[in-house]
Amino acid sequence: MEFKLEAHRIVSISLGKIYSARGQRGGLKLHKNLLVSLVLRSARQVYLSEPGCPPEPPPAACGPPEEEPPPCGTAWAAGEPPPPQDEAARGGPRLPGADCEGPRPRRCCCGCSCCCCAAAAGGGEANRADCATAGAAAPPPPHCPRKRSAGERGQAGSPVKKPRREVEEPPPPGEQEDMETGNVASLISIFGSSFSGLLSKEPKGRRRAPLDSGEAPTTTSPSPAEAAAEPGQICCDEPVLRTLNPWSTAIVAF
Amino acid sequence: MTECSARFADIISTVEFNHSGELLATGDKGGRVVIFQQEQENKTQSHSRGEYNVYSTFQSHEPEFDYLKSLEIEEKINKIRWLPQKNAAQFLLSTNDKTIKLWKISERDKRPEGYNLKEEDGRYRDPTTVTTLRVPVFRPMDLMVEASPRRIFANAHTYHINSISINSDYETYLSADDLRINLWHLEITDRSFNIVDIKPANMEELTEVITAAEFHPNSCNTFVYSSSKGTIRLCDMRASALCDRHSKLFEEPEDPSNRSFFSEIISSISDVKFSHSGRYMMTRDYLSVKIWDLNMENRPVETYQVHEYLRSKLCSLYENDCIFDKFECCWNGSDSIVMTGSYNNFFRMFDRNTKRDITLEASRENNKPRTVLKPRKVCASGKRKKDEISVDSLDFNKKILHTAWHPKENIIAVATTNNLYIFQDKMN
Repeated sequence: MEFKLEAHRIVSISLGKIYSARGQRGGLKLHKNLLVSLVLRSARQVYLSEPGCPPEPPPAACGPPEEEPPPCGTAWAAGEPPPPQDEAARGGPRLPGADCEGPRPRRCCCGCSCCCCAAAAGGGEANRADCATAGAAAPPPPHCPRKRSAGERGQAGSPVKKPRREVEEPPPPGEQEDMETGNVASLISIFGSSFSGLLSKEPKGRRRAPLDSGEAPTTTSPSPAEAAAEPGQICCDEPVLRTLNPWSTAIVAF
Repeated sequence: MTECSARFADIISTVEFNHSGELLATGDKGGRVVIFQQEQENKTQSHSRGEYNVYSTFQSHEPEFDYLKSLEIEEKINKIRWLPQKNAAQFLLSTNDKTIKLWKISERDKRPEGYNLKEEDGRYRDPTTVTTLRVPVFRPMDLMVEASPRRIFANAHTYHINSISINSDYETYLSADDLRINLWHLEITDRSFNIVDIKPANMEELTEVITAAEFHPNSCNTFVYSSSKGTIRLCDMRASALCDRHSKLFEEPEDPSNRSFFSEIISSISDVKFSHSGRYMMTRDYLSVKIWDLNMENRPVETYQVHEYLRSKLCSLYENDCIFDKFECCWNGSDSIVMTGSYNNFFRMFDRNTKRDITLEASRENNKPRTVLKPRKVCASGKRKKDEISVDSLDFNKKILHTAWHPKENIIAVATTNNLYIFQDKMN
């Protein structure tokens, strides 16, 4: 159990680092973020491989990121499953033309096929590397556009049409020649619901705040300007950015 | 030990002696380069070699903005490398994350005087007032040191440049970023050759990055690069144009008893340096320094623990980001001693012959100029002896990442966060 707690703590610290890496001057530090993602993967594996993976992390060890899953799960289960037709499209930005499910196992940075700690609503299907955040009968979309979970939470009850439209357009090929860290970004997508809690506040100047405060996710959704307006943070090409809505822009552009 | 500290302005990011040791260059986070020059030996003061004084200061890099990617490019100088001196002027390469510049540092101690058409202050004379002609002559003036950029090598790196290394042919040099290594000719700025590319087709499959690269000191076809996985690859440019396949792979199997969440991070190599002889190379990872014989790939020939007492603190060091600190290491001129930095402004030296090691501190409070440095000791656990420092009272904000050793003498330059210390051997 101790290992679990430590692993859990390390997961939350790592997520915090990835998040705060967004705002740093000089752009994304590939080396550091790669190392952080490796630690995150190890910790996650330990956490999940311990017997009796609880749907909710122990309260003592949790900060806001960990608090996300339950509310998120509730939101999902509350009857707002993501529109099924979005799934395939959501796979778009990451792997053009690939099915949302197919690439999942590869995309999951931990390479494991277990449910992630965000699997609040009774853990996703273990035979898939997708980390379902919600009992949604529909598969797991939150990781694709983490925007979705945040958006959902913020606007319970209103399907988010805007992302669907934007997401349908895959990024042009050859736009990979970039400081894009797809590996880590899909990591963020896996923890989508956890992560969006970090993004529910204005990112700037709030680097560690989400880990310290125990606030529940807010219902504010950032304007596109908010997410995109912080100089030095957008690391993707324009075409890729255009395909994502502000939420995912904020996450991807760390 | 003589001590001289200078420059409080900014965080020092690189330190490098030139080939003769007469000049010492430092780069800082603000994009500035400051060069120190050793005073000529004073015959009357036989107890010390010349001190280092500021010789030249110039702004090498400015912050830039990449509009295409909406990314700010830091002006921090990541590395400085000197070219061997060929004429009166000195040349060095300095690099930030994206652009390498060749600087010429030259002295001017004479100036022409006695122009016919110009006054001494530069104003032009009315030609009609000129009645006689004279020949301008050079007259001595106060020494002025000028730095001018001679070449700018830009736009060849998508990722952050971590190393530059000048080839022993003195015509080419390499620059390495996280995923690629490029080969340049010093005279040609509009193109470079890519010689190593480890970028995966799908970035999501990325598992390791290049952390340092260096040319062999004698073989102009050989270079090494280290990775975040703790491996070093030696490549021969004669084998193929793209050196993705290594000639040798140096890797030590991991000790399974030391496995932890952070094993991967602490095995990442932060610096690699060839010995002057070219027979060995040294690597620095988070906790140790390893010496490798180029003829033996499966394990290092020597391993020195820098601060093993930190192994039990890795989680805290991960939390405060110290585990990502990139320590450098250096050889002395005869390859008998290696040196590297640690925390609390400590730095460590390991004598390869006697197997003795020493921990010293670079701080003004504890060392008056011209006093001999006192060896320090860190108490890992248990009862702390007098004069020992416990691990928990180490200041992790005071880190020595950059050190340099004079190529010929026992003079070392040690950079704390924003001070430079120069120590030399006590001469009897």
